[in-house]
Amino acid sequence: FILMLSLALGTMITITSNHWVTAWAGLEINTLAIIPLISKSHHPRAIEAATKYFLTQATASALMLFSSMTNAWSSGQWDITQLTNPPSCLLLTAAIAIKLGLTPFHFWFPEVLQGSSLITALLLSTAMKFPPTTILLLTSHSLNPTLLSTMAIMSIALGGWMGLNQTQTRKILAFSSISHLGWMTIIITYNPKLTLLTFYLYSLMTTSIFLSMNSTNTLKLSTLMTSWTKAPMLNTTLMLTLLSLAGLPPLTGFLPKWLIIQELTKQEMTTTATIISMLSLLGLFFYLRLTYCSTITLPPNSSNKMKQWSIKKPVNTLTPTL
Amino acid sequence: MSLIHLSFYSAFTLSSLGLAFHRTHLISALLCLESIILSIYIGLSLWPVQNQATSFTLLPVLILAFSACEAGTGLAILVASTRTHGSDHLHNLNLLQC
Repeated sequence: FILMLSLALGTMITITSNHWVTAWAGLEINTLAIIPLISKSHHPRAIEAATKYFLTQATASALMLFSSMTNAWSSGQWDITQLTNPPSCLLLTAAIAIKLGLTPFHFWFPEVLQGSSLITALLLSTAMKFPPTTILLLTSHSLNPTLLSTMAIMSIALGGWMGLNQTQTRKILAFSSISHLGWMTIIITYNPKLTLLTFYLYSLMTTSIFLSMNSTNTLKLSTLMTSWTKAPMLNTTLMLTLLSLAGLPPLTGFLPKWLIIQELTKQEMTTTATIISMLSLLGLFFYLRLTYCSTITLPPNSSNKMKQWSIKKPVNTLTPTL
Repeated sequence: MSLIHLSFYSAFTLSSLGLAFHRTHLISALLCLESIILSIYIGLSLWPVQNQATSFTLLPVLILAFSACEAGTGLAILVASTRTHGSDHLHNLNLLQC
């Protein structure tokens, strides 16, 4: 499937680049490859999601190119790790925030995830976040830490708050993605390895959740309530994975949060650590609601549609045990 | 030389403001995106002239190739939105409300 190959190619080009134009070219290849994937179904919602995605990502790419150009004019070189011009640092931070979906540039993300199919949403929230994260890692020593921390705290707050009233599972996962991005960004100027760790664990957990939801085809909370009839083992492991995404202690998702809080207290930022821990309680509420709906209750409304007995492909029950 | 700097910085700023404040048609947003890329192209073409580094002259051509692909994709999305939504008015893109 040639679009997946283009995605892999674009990601590889951006990761292995030390010149700004190769990074930009990889990001463009990724954007161009995923637009047909989003709009494959020709549904009006999918086309609308593709429009919003295209406009935001194209402006972010152009901003990134412009910031690298001003940096080249002022310092004479195109190396990614040597970003010396302060206005271009600011523009680059804004461009990467738009590409990742950090607050205050997060408005496109829930709607785009809602309009795309579950597998495409998985690709959008894990694979498409990887190249901008690598650029952020490469340039993190020259970006403004106050700005990054502010955006991160706002992302965690907004991801928690706006996820509370949602019933569509893709939007819930979008807001969880936004808050996890906030957790990744807050530690990037102090210990970039923790950002990478958080990203890997987050993408692993999100992959398993999306694949589980794809097997049972749950797009809404009401569908989630009746998914225990289709694959009971998958349902229990889905509950564990959701709680891991929330960050509860014996599960894997707690590890990045613990290490980030430890690193923040080492850097004398204890108020920040307290604030983000409190704000992730908001996220915990909707994760708990998801687990409640999926596993803990057996409601009497399991007689909705008979088509719920159909499973799209053989269920891989091992995916959530990652 | 700083007059030239001012010209393409202001071109970029005006185009990005136009992209941010597009009101009714999607195609005005695509046009502003194209003018952003054009201002970057002009700025990049002046760079090897200024610094006498002729190995960087290929760079604007590469950028032009990628941005032409992106413009084509934008137009394809415009056509797709006209097919599904009836026009490219931005008020019609409200199917995905929270």
